[in-house]
Parts: sequence; structure tokens; C-alpha cells
Amino acid sequence: MNGQTSHQQSKDGRHDDDAALTEFLASLMDYTPTIPDELVEHYLAKSGFQCPDIRLTRLVAVATQKFIADVATDALQQCKARQSAVVKDKRDKQQKDKRLILTMEDLSRALREYGVNVKHQEYFADSPSAGLDSVSRDE
Amino acid sequence: MSDGDGRDSLKFLGERENQQWKRKKKKLGADEFAQAIARIAVAQVCEGLGFQSFHQSALDSLADVGVRYIREIGKTACSYANLANRSQCNVFDVIQGLEDLGSIQGFSGASDVSHSLSGSGVVKDLIRYVGQAEEIPFAYLTPVFPVVKQRTLDPSFAQAGESPPDEHIPSWLPKFPEPETYATLSLRNEKDLETEVVNKTQLVEEQHRKVERPLLNFQQKLICNGSEAGVVVEQGDAAKAQRAAESNPFLAPPLQYGEKEVALPVLPPKLLDDPADYHNSCVVTDTNLLTLEPSLRPRETERSAPCEPEDRRNILLNGRPSLQFKFGNGKKSLRMVTSPRNESIEKVSLWFGDDHDGKDKTNRKAEKILWENTEYPPEVSHL
Repeated sequence: MNGQTSHQQSKDGRHDDDAALTEFLASLMDYTPTIPDELVEHYLAKSGFQCPDIRLTRLVAVATQKFIADVATDALQQCKARQSAVVKDKRDKQQKDKRLILTMEDLSRALREYGVNVKHQEYFADSPSAGLDSVSRDE
Repeated sequence: MSDGDGRDSLKFLGERENQQWKRKKKKLGADEFAQAIARIAVAQVCEGLGFQSFHQSALDSLADVGVRYIREIGKTACSYANLANRSQCNVFDVIQGLEDLGSIQGFSGASDVSHSLSGSGVVKDLIRYVGQAEEIPFAYLTPVFPVVKQRTLDPSFAQAGESPPDEHIPSWLPKFPEPETYATLSLRNEKDLETEVVNKTQLVEEQHRKVERPLLNFQQKLICNGSEAGVVVEQGDAAKAQRAAESNPFLAPPLQYGEKEVALPVLPPKLLDDPADYHNSCVVTDTNLLTLEPSLRPRETERSAPCEPEDRRNILLNGRPSLQFKFGNGKKSLRMVTSPRNESIEKVSLWFGDDHDGKDKTNRKAEKILWENTEYPPEVSHL
């Protein structure tokens, strides 16, 4: 008896989930994701994804947008944390550092949480002899 | 963040994209357009969150990561569909793909082995995100890409109504090209500079594209000029050649001696008595041949010689101006001219460098011709 009711409940739950999913997919047609459909279709086609249903394309677009938003939010938090740390030390720099800039450093820290390792060049030399000793440069 | 600010930064971004496009114009790959659009979309998302500007490299990296994410979802969803013996993807394939990708970060219910896909944590997260986030439509109108061009295929034997020449060739294969297109290459009027200028690029392209054909025809010209040996010289039908000439100037019939003017050849200074004459003639040929490729030089002087085997010897003896094969461009002509024999012969042998032994005869003939041509200085008196 108990098992039957629980089974019943789980079935109802599943129906609710399905209903929610269907409703969500329908609502996707109203919501325009920031990533355009053509771009998503192009890359999905490149990777072998075949589906004529546009709701799935929208689903992928929304999922990617959410992913990018999450990464950017983490990077923003890193940026703000850095700025607040700087402001604590020097009050006069408070005016200058109000702009929030997406830098490579914040981004690589944020992406590391998601399993993406982005290593960034710290500096670029402008000539092959940059940084060498003066003796070898003269040669 | 107000709308005005958003638009300004977008405009700035658009300008930056334009500059980036201009800078990268020469290095455009196949995917540049899609990547540029991805960059714009990612920038819009970031701006919606509160960022005011970006480092270019950071934006590129994030856009690249976003693109890879899309491709990864596609790949995973496709593999799940194939696993289930389907070729078209399902919403559940996509959800499974999302779960795989989200397993790094984690989602609610991930540890539940037997959870239903429709009630998966990723779906719930997505629903929540769509409910919360403000809708930012993409800034530009994107066309459908990549653009599929209509290809005009060559007609097959069956389509053209012809029967294939041999039994082993099925009729659904494309037709063979017209024999005129691979027959002799024409001799052209040298004085006709206008058409020369117009057709120069075409000529150079053709030369570059079909290397063997001029080689073969050059051989034939040499054979015409130098000997009466029995080598296959394709005469071709006069009518066919005429027809082809109307459509394609390169297939015009060869020049007949005496009907058209030929360019005055240039002799080396040591063979000329009057140095002034030499300079004049040099100037003339320089302007004629200045912009041509080096490989075309021998063809120029060549084309002035008609292909009449039986009259060739007589013509040479009867006061026809001797020919000078000029290799190299106009600036070098003076230098080259001083030592024509060795270098010309070297060049000729280079041309025939990778031919098989059957063409050694023509090599020797070519050398003989060059020697002959430089040994007739007195006939240049009218220069």
C-alpha cells in the first residue's frame, strides 16, 4: 500500500516535471535569448546535432547564456573583491577604480571553477632581444 | 545601468569590432563571422550583468569558451541520441548533455542516480534563470549562415545527349571537355597592346594553372621552327579553331607570316654595330615586355615566329630578323642580353628539366636554334 502510494506520488511528480518542462519549452518561444538562433544552429550543425525543432535550439541558447552569465558573475565578484581590497588601502584611488573591467585574470580565476583552464601571457616582448643582457644585445 | 549607457558601449564595441575586422581582414578564416557574432553576444550578456568595459583578450577568451560550450552540448546530445539508436536529437538528449557539462559545477539532484530527466536539476536551474534574467535581445540582425551557393555542375553524358566514347565510361559521368580547350595554344598579335593588357592577367592565370600545356606547345613551336622532324603537330580543324577563337581569344588560330606585324627583336650589344640603335630597340621592347612575367618572355618572341615548317629555313635565310629569346624582366634585359647564350640555354634546359628522354632531341634543337639566331647579325641592318 505504502509503496503503491509512493509510486503514485512519484508518477504524479513525474507528470508535474513533464508538464513543467513542456511549459518551459513553450515559454522559450516568447523569450529571446541574447545569443542569436542562427549562431547556435551553426555551431550545433557543426557538431552533428540534428533537430528541426527550434525550441531545442532556444534551450541550448538559453543554457549557454546562463553559463556565460554565471562565469561573468563570478568574474564580476572577483573584480569587485579586488577593488574593495584596493580601496581599503588607499582612499584616493576610490574614484579611479569605479569602472568594472573584465580582465583576463578575473576571467581565468572564474573559469577555473568551471573546469576551464585559461592561461594568459603575462607580458609580450616587443623584440627578440628584449630582456637580454646588454652584451648579447650589442652582438 | 541605463539604456543610453548600454547603447554607447555597444556602439563602441561595434566600432572596435569594425577595426578588428579591418585589421584582421587578411587573416580571415572560415569561422570569423560566427566568432564575431559570438563576441558581440557575450559582450551583451556581460554588460547586462554590470561590466562596463572589457579587455579584448578576455572578451575573445570568453566568447571562445561560449562557442565551445555550444559545440560540447551538441556533441554530447548527438552522442546520446546515437546511443539510443536515433539520428535526430531529443530534448532529453540535450538535458543529458547539460547534466554532463554541469556535473563539474554541480546541480541539485546530481547524485540521485535514478532521477527523471524532466525533473532534473539543470532544467530547474534554467527555468529559474529564465524567470529572473532580463531579456536582452541580440543587437544586430543576423543572416542565416553559412550561405549555401548553388553549384552549376558540368553536364553528364546523358544530360548532354552524347554517348560516351568508350564502353567503360558510364553515361552518368560528366562530359569530357571540348578538344579545342586542350589543343594548341594560340599565337597572338604582339602589336595589339590593348588586348594584351586586358588579357595579361588571364594569360598569367592560365600560365600558372596549366603548366604543362605551354610547355607542350613551346616544344611544338620549337619543332616547327627548328626542324622538319616528324613530331605530332596538331593542326586542328580550321573551322573549329575559328569557332573557338570567337569564344576564347587564347584559342585564336596562329599568326600567318606576312599578314601581321611582329615586334622588333633585341640583339645583344656586341652583335650590333650601332649602340644607339640598340638602345632604341631596347626601349621599345622594354615598354612592350615590361610588366610581363619572366616565363612569358620566350613566348612573346616565340609568338612572332609563325609555325610554318617548310618555309622556316627559307625565311631565316631570306633576311628575316633574327630572334632573341629574352628571359627575365625588362630591368634585367640589358644584363641578360650580354650573355645570352649560356643563360638562355640554361633556361631552356630548365624548362625541360623534368621531361623524359624523348624530348632530349628537342632540347638539342632548342639549343641549335638559339645558336643559329644569334649568328645572323647582318640581317638586322634594317633595325
